[in-house]
Amino acid sequence: MAAEDLPSEFDVVILGTGLAESVVAAACSRVGQRVLHLDRRSYYAANWASFTFNGLLTWIQEQNESQTEEVRDWSSLLEEGEELLHLSDTDSASITNLQVFCYTNEEDEEEEAESADPLNTTEEEKPEEFSHDVFIRSDFQTVTFLNQSQAAQTPGEEPEAARPHPSAAQSQSEPTRKKLSYAQLVKEGRRFNIDLVSKLLFSRGSLVDLLIKSNVSRYAEFKNVTRILTYRHGNMEQVPCSRADVFASRQLLVVEKRKLMRFLNSCMEETEEQQAYNGRPYLDFLRDQQLGDNLQHFLLHSIAMVTEDTPTEEGLASTRHFLRCLGRYGNTPFLFPVYGLGEIPQCFCRMCAVFGGTYCLRHSVHCLIVDRDTNRCRAVIDSRGQRISCSHFVVEDGCVGSDRKKMATRAVLITDASVLPGESDQQVSMVTVPPAAAGGPTVKMVELCSSTMTCVPGTYLVHLTCQSTGSAHQDLSPVVTMMFRTTESEEPGNEHGRPFVLWCFYFNMADGSAVEVEGHQLPCNVYVCSGPDGSLGHEHAVKQAEFIFHKILPDEDFCPPAPNPEDIIYDGDEGAAGQEENQGEQEIYLQNHTEHNAEEEEMTPKTTKEKDKNQSRPQTHRNTRSMQH
Amino acid sequence: MAIRELKVCLLGDTGVGKSSIVCRFVQDHFDHNISPTIGASFLTKTVPSGHELHKFLIWDTAGQERFHSLAPMYYRGSAAAVIVYDITKLDSFQTLKKWVKELKEHGPEDIVVAIAGNKNDLGDIREVPMKEAKEFAESIEAIFIETSARNAVNVEELFQKISKQIPPLENPEVESNDSFKLTRQPSSTARRCC
Repeated sequence: MAAEDLPSEFDVVILGTGLAESVVAAACSRVGQRVLHLDRRSYYAANWASFTFNGLLTWIQEQNESQTEEVRDWSSLLEEGEELLHLSDTDSASITNLQVFCYTNEEDEEEEAESADPLNTTEEEKPEEFSHDVFIRSDFQTVTFLNQSQAAQTPGEEPEAARPHPSAAQSQSEPTRKKLSYAQLVKEGRRFNIDLVSKLLFSRGSLVDLLIKSNVSRYAEFKNVTRILTYRHGNMEQVPCSRADVFASRQLLVVEKRKLMRFLNSCMEETEEQQAYNGRPYLDFLRDQQLGDNLQHFLLHSIAMVTEDTPTEEGLASTRHFLRCLGRYGNTPFLFPVYGLGEIPQCFCRMCAVFGGTYCLRHSVHCLIVDRDTNRCRAVIDSRGQRISCSHFVVEDGCVGSDRKKMATRAVLITDASVLPGESDQQVSMVTVPPAAAGGPTVKMVELCSSTMTCVPGTYLVHLTCQSTGSAHQDLSPVVTMMFRTTESEEPGNEHGRPFVLWCFYFNMADGSAVEVEGHQLPCNVYVCSGPDGSLGHEHAVKQAEFIFHKILPDEDFCPPAPNPEDIIYDGDEGAAGQEENQGEQEIYLQNHTEHNAEEEEMTPKTTKEKDKNQSRPQTHRNTRSMQH
Repeated sequence: MAIRELKVCLLGDTGVGKSSIVCRFVQDHFDHNISPTIGASFLTKTVPSGHELHKFLIWDTAGQERFHSLAPMYYRGSAAAVIVYDITKLDSFQTLKKWVKELKEHGPEDIVVAIAGNKNDLGDIREVPMKEAKEFAESIEAIFIETSARNAVNVEELFQKISKQIPPLENPEVESNDSFKLTRQPSSTARRCC
């Protein structure tokens, strides 16, 4: 932890630990490049990060602080024929219109609740008087505590009752819900993992392929999105998307079931009939299939996830992608990483580190040293004034002042119930909310339950995303009001139907989809990684990372499978290289959570001989955390 | 006997002997010129414990501790953490508290913490008194042991102590969370249950 100097020579220096940057780092390190990976922040994953509740409060506060970096003269570090190119050190423009609202009580109503509260398993963590005033002081966001009086008189709940175990998650039959107070959110804050972006992984998308191909998948666990919902006519409905769903659906008529099945089967093949609709809206095509309103809605908004004017060929391609992703891991096409999306960049960073990459957070690059003749970046000057030479420099877009025209709108809610309570309280739901008025943005919503390790039992974490038309609050608060209730909600009669929002925040984030990798008047060996784009999947970042990697190393393989670290050790020097070629062995590692136990057993005795001298290792090496369910 | 996989993460300053301890434990081997951790970032060893077998999945820092940049994902799901310091380097003991703090912040709540004072074969140049370290460990309810990866002293014992502190599995049903790792060719048959 000492203030050690960084080495002064690398092949690739990367500033920013977002997804694309981290993939580039892992890919370069994996093929033997010396990688220095920096981030000026104190956390990994930049705008792809996940935060604990308290971490998020700090982040919110930081968004308001302008970091002014004094410009120093580095010309003494220059050599003949070199010039300096300063990087912008702030990324303030990427987050705007941040607003925080708290609708739950600030404090517990009863202080001695601790002993009865099964959530409080830690002894030492007191809810330190966490400074709400940090919000109030700030001038560019607002926090509103709209709780005290109204919340106390919420009908149907008895705030004065001796606190019943608020363990709705533990004893599912328990109907009485006790709202968590703000103090409890803070106290339990470390059990939240709140993502800045809201995305999912398509089970046959490029990120899943890359995780598997590179063996980075060994560092992360995933959960299936368990259901697809859509909001329609003021109701939440489940979208039947697999065969099983279609047949089990109670809301579809038999005729509709037959029509839907026929459509889903037929659309996988390209037909002349479809081609006739090229260039015309997908909605027209769907209408002419005589599917009826219900099915048309499901197909357009929830399965193809396109808008009414999307051309047919595009709509069909999205529909096919959705259908192809079904059944690979679960009944929906989507996966979500346990502990949140911020894990993914960290996993790639770990892969980079395992192959020798150097990591340093809270460390930045002030300027580039550019060779005047070749217009190449020869070295960088870091935030401690050290000259570090490199052959390539990769940088997040915030540091090069790229213009940010396109913005995404986000809202994150902590609620007390699911938008569609079902048999299980542990559902992960993808919800599409079609535009309220024609031409408005479609809202994509992901509701996460506590078993995703992103929120505490008894709460749900709801992410809303749409394209910006105004400020985040303007764009999304109508949707929030429609589907949830707050202390501002009127119509008290209807309350039990909708989840209560304990706490929420709104913000706009720059949409990176339009940022170019090259150009920006930068040297030719400098590449720009854009921040998160607005789409649901991760294809943009993966594609960008692969593009940059091939720019740096045109002849190298992109993220070849990393050998099983155990094999490196046991098989000695000659084994490490050999293992990489040996796909069979690779498979064993990858499969060891599924059905390939038989093969794993073959490998076990080999390693056992060397290390376990007097222990009998059972030959029935069943994996206790098997994923079959 | 049921096998229980337990993730153990190593913490501590660069050069205190984290990798050496694991290397000794898993392979019973000591390398004088072990390079800063590359590749050997993950090792396993199974030991019996009561009615269970504990398969330790030991994660090494992969050097990310050097500039104090360990990622929170490193701590995820850890049953135990071993924080290592070097008894001949007072600095490495003083930063121990930072590692404990980081662990409290990012680690699981019920994690078993063990503090290992390594290089106790170099007693003649000791800078950290054993008593002081032991008292600190007691104050945070951590396991304490002095080890020598070089002379194979107390390394097995360290992990035995951890094994003993791991609470027995109460309800295997609760443990079987339906999260999973991504695999190359997931079996479509096994999962098509509904």
